[in-house]
Amino acid sequence: MQTLFASVPLSFFSDLGQQFYDDFILKDRYMYIVQGFANTVVITLVAVIIGIILGTLVALVRITHQNNPKKLRILNKICGLYLTVIRGTPVLVQLMIMVYFIFASGETLLVAMLAFGINSGAYVAEVIRSGIQSVDRGQIEAGRSLGLNSRTTMSKIVLPQAFKNVAPAVFNEFIALLKETSIAGYVGIQDLTKGGDIIRSITYDAFMPLFLVAAIYLVLVILLTMCLSKLERRLHQSDKR
Amino acid sequence: MISVKNLEKTFHTQRGDLQVLKGINQEIQKGEKVVVVGPSGSGKSTFLRCLNLLEMPTGGEVWFEGTQINAPGCDVDQLRRKMGMVFQHFNLFPHLSVLKNITLAPVTLKLKSEKEAEDKAMQLLKRIGLQDKANAYPSQLSGGQQQRIAIVRALAMEPDVMLFDEPTSALDPEMVGEVLQVMKELAHEGMTMVVVTHEMNFAREVATRVLFMDEGLVLEEAKPDEFFDHPKNPRLQDFLSKVL
Repeated sequence: MQTLFASVPLSFFSDLGQQFYDDFILKDRYMYIVQGFANTVVITLVAVIIGIILGTLVALVRITHQNNPKKLRILNKICGLYLTVIRGTPVLVQLMIMVYFIFASGETLLVAMLAFGINSGAYVAEVIRSGIQSVDRGQIEAGRSLGLNSRTTMSKIVLPQAFKNVAPAVFNEFIALLKETSIAGYVGIQDLTKGGDIIRSITYDAFMPLFLVAAIYLVLVILLTMCLSKLERRLHQSDKR
Repeated sequence: MISVKNLEKTFHTQRGDLQVLKGINQEIQKGEKVVVVGPSGSGKSTFLRCLNLLEMPTGGEVWFEGTQINAPGCDVDQLRRKMGMVFQHFNLFPHLSVLKNITLAPVTLKLKSEKEAEDKAMQLLKRIGLQDKANAYPSQLSGGQQQRIAIVRALAMEPDVMLFDEPTSALDPEMVGEVLQVMKELAHEGMTMVVVTHEMNFAREVATRVLFMDEGLVLEEAKPDEFFDHPKNPRLQDFLSKVL
């Protein structure tokens, strides 16, 4: 221990209480963390929903076109372009373009939700597409042979199974998204990371605010991961013998 | 009831075209039980799948109850309601309970209320002795049970004809009997059936007519006694000598 902390002055430990007080209690500075946390959660949740809807739509367009190349030709091109651009550029650049250029006059928080949602949609689309393709062809044939049209077969038979197959992968995508939103501070949004950073810039103490921020992310991710394994167990109940 | 005129099917593959059906003519009357046998690759499954357009014929005509179903603009979904199909691999919906598997189509297509469909499903399940499996999921059932439920699922649509595509080929030997039993009962009740199978005893016992297909053509058709005891076509004689 002594050698490890040799370069840290003793006052570091004796001042911990004082630092904690300065960082979080004084002038209600903990509110930076609380508000930041709220913003991070809200951005993530809304982006998740946008991502799932957008991703599913894009996946459906691409699958429909793939099965019948005459259908949705233009829409498929647009979707292809969307996937290429979004996956080929950094999310931070996309966020800045959205906030400072495309929706320069919009409410920054809303624009950020949209930007993260659009970004996430591109990754979710590919996951869902693979999920749809993983459903056995016989399932479609069985549905069609009962007189269901292709849309009903897709929505009642294929998609539920596809979602089930990819739920863990999609959920993982959202755990990643939660951490990715930490760049929102770049465009002036006070998310969890920015909240911690603001405290650091006021008190000049980097240790406590940033470690607290890290700990909050970590706990969130651990909780979500626990939810994920619970979800997986529930989804696989119908597979049990 | 079903009329097939000069039916052709060619698959376009990367290695070139493969003609699987080379002009088939058939008339299937109401109440007939037509069993199709032949070596693998003879096109018998493709023939069956052309009857409800799971495969789109590349030539010829398929008529069902007075309508040409492979004509452009024909509402295929409507016609498929009246043609039940049973698959080699059952194709039950794994995410739905047995009961939901059976009621999904009638309820979704608004042919029956949820209650009516469930009553009908339970009645059908009772007939095959699986009423206690109504809330089970397909993966919890044996292959034989799954296939019987797949038959019931098709019957729930109250079809006019039932198509069977090698219904026992994916089953363990000890489960073949229970599925054939359900099919026999169905035949005795007067259901029109077209069955692709390798079960020669079933063909002999149940069929009103047996077709022998090879290389995309029907080479011989006859009543079962005639078919099995006095085969004329040398290829059929050869086939029967191998399978019987």
